[in-house]
Amino acid sequence: MRAPILPAPARLSQYGVDPTLVTKRAAQLPDITSVLLSDLFSDTPPLIYPGEKGLAAIREATIQALDRVDMSMIKPEHSVNICASHHGFTLLGGEPYAEMLKTLRDVIAERTGSQQIRLRAGVGLRFRETAEYIKSFGLDTHFGPRMAIGVAPIDAGIPIETEIGTLWGIKAIYDADWIVHAHNSDVREVHFHRQVDRAVKPFGMSYARIETRSTYHQNLGPRAANFTARCIFASDFVQSKFAFASFLDMSPAGIVGVDADNDLFALNDRLTLAGLKYYGKIMTLLGEIDECIAVLDFPCPVPYVFASGVIYANFIGANTDLFDLSAALPAYTWYTEAFYGKNGPLIDGIAPVNPAIKLAVHNYAWGGYPSAFFSEQIPTVVVGREQAEVMDRDSQNVEYMAHATIADGLDQAMRFAHTTARTDKVIIFDGAVGGINVSTSLAKELLARAPAIEARVNDILLPKWLRQRGIDPAQAGLPASALVSS
Amino acid sequence: MKHITLLATVHVDNCNGCTVCPKVCPTLAIQMVNHKAVVDEALCFACGNCEQRCESRAITMEKLDTPRHIGVAVDDLPREQVDQLCIKAGFHPSQIVCYCTATRAEEVAAAILKGAQSPEEISVRTGLRGGCSVECLQPALRLLEAAGITPTPVKGGWQWYGRTPTIQEIPEAVKAKYQNRGFYFDEDIKLFASVVQSDRR
Repeated sequence: MRAPILPAPARLSQYGVDPTLVTKRAAQLPDITSVLLSDLFSDTPPLIYPGEKGLAAIREATIQALDRVDMSMIKPEHSVNICASHHGFTLLGGEPYAEMLKTLRDVIAERTGSQQIRLRAGVGLRFRETAEYIKSFGLDTHFGPRMAIGVAPIDAGIPIETEIGTLWGIKAIYDADWIVHAHNSDVREVHFHRQVDRAVKPFGMSYARIETRSTYHQNLGPRAANFTARCIFASDFVQSKFAFASFLDMSPAGIVGVDADNDLFALNDRLTLAGLKYYGKIMTLLGEIDECIAVLDFPCPVPYVFASGVIYANFIGANTDLFDLSAALPAYTWYTEAFYGKNGPLIDGIAPVNPAIKLAVHNYAWGGYPSAFFSEQIPTVVVGREQAEVMDRDSQNVEYMAHATIADGLDQAMRFAHTTARTDKVIIFDGAVGGINVSTSLAKELLARAPAIEARVNDILLPKWLRQRGIDPAQAGLPASALVSS
Repeated sequence: MKHITLLATVHVDNCNGCTVCPKVCPTLAIQMVNHKAVVDEALCFACGNCEQRCESRAITMEKLDTPRHIGVAVDDLPREQVDQLCIKAGFHPSQIVCYCTATRAEEVAAAILKGAQSPEEISVRTGLRGGCSVECLQPALRLLEAAGITPTPVKGGWQWYGRTPTIQEIPEAVKAKYQNRGFYFDEDIKLFASVVQSDRR
């Protein structure tokens, strides 16, 4: 079996413990091995990063992608906001996304002559997070004094008239003549956006005010939520400012390339297909696991720690098909959580959280996102009192530790986990690049099951998922076998 | 209901008087006095917005010696009255409307029935918006509207700007235009209806 993949290092942030307190990573545990995505699925795409060229490959791919983009609308006297989101900085250490942002700035400046090119980086629910990234990746230096800032949904807003009425964006996102949408195609929150208009989502989320974000999560429903993003993007106001988009094209194994387009919906269709194809397989495979201990070990909030491109929030719901739009509610999404009454679900048909997860070990994860549902539904052991204190001090997680217990160290936590869960199968959500760190027993199981999953997704699920999103499988270049069986 | 363990504390020497913190406080707990931020301890429910948006890092969240609870009792109101208000706003009374504090619609309805006239007053009474302060705004505005109350945004503040559309209000023409792109409008309307009509608690 392969050696474990090095996990993403701990990161200094006000939302997590001091990295020096993260003394042992789950990948260092005995009996942990790794499985490469390319060993699981035959169609795993070739990567530009990680790779021999390092970050130079990102710069090169960004420049090439921008060659196909029209920037003639940007005049030398115009201002440009490159709009970014926190998520990109969590991928592969964050440097590739930062490099794409720096390259965007340089190419726009060179081709248009504009000297007013700013970075506006939106956040999730940790309002200082992108300010931390801007500093640590040197974006403040690259963009110049006061040109790179983090923006938050509680900052000053601006009304945006849409097809369904007034919604609100963050004023600082739109305070330039032109905006450039700089994002990535990692599917991430499938439980929220359901891979419908994935590429558009930041317009309803990290670029949006609280009124809009609350609309997404309270007013529109589990399968219509991301319409919030579409109708903002399609508004006359946003269209009058939108120049083009540039995306890191992701697969669960790493970065496939950079895609850029003046037509965001055309780019969205390309990314929708790739996301369903590549992430659909690994998610379906992880949903086949019958029992396991999940170890959270990554510098981000509990729901967003990830393994082979799958976030923990999606593993919690992996007993349901998150991409299947005929199912209203995944086992976890905020609408599902909302519909838990005082004595359980208010309606029939709400699946329990993934029963395969017998226990979660919270070795390293941040606060800054409401996560009490996770510790309430899954027995959880938190490693170290300092980490428990982070959760206790977090206004979004005051109840998290009410449902969790504390172990002094990772070894003690794992001993308790194995004894209690009675399984030797371990899956580690540590952001390992190119594959997944798991116990030997689980590695064997995944390798054995993967070929059948690959065939099922290609031939049955993918055509269905595409049709549900208005994409003709025949036009999407699927193999003949898929078209016959679908 | 919210369990409050922290208090926003201003370090006056670092405060540059920028006035951002009173604009982002959901309970109007901060005022500027002589160009310095001053926190009303009774109104602060420790969401942390001020601390996170303070550019000069003049605010820290300090542990309270004695944690406190805030919340509104529901049982001392006529059950029907509470339920009717929730249902009129499109919520099941037991539905969670704040994911950070697990506040249910019935508690917000009870706060309104007991006199809350704005999102800020709801927050002070229930703790709603006491976590991320982002996702639970619309339920507060929808429940106020269902009670016949039209609150006014705080003048000069960024606390909130207005109520936004619900899925039931999306025009048929808009639904028809996008229904083949993966948006399941009518199906999700039915889902909401089934939740609101549920007789479970």
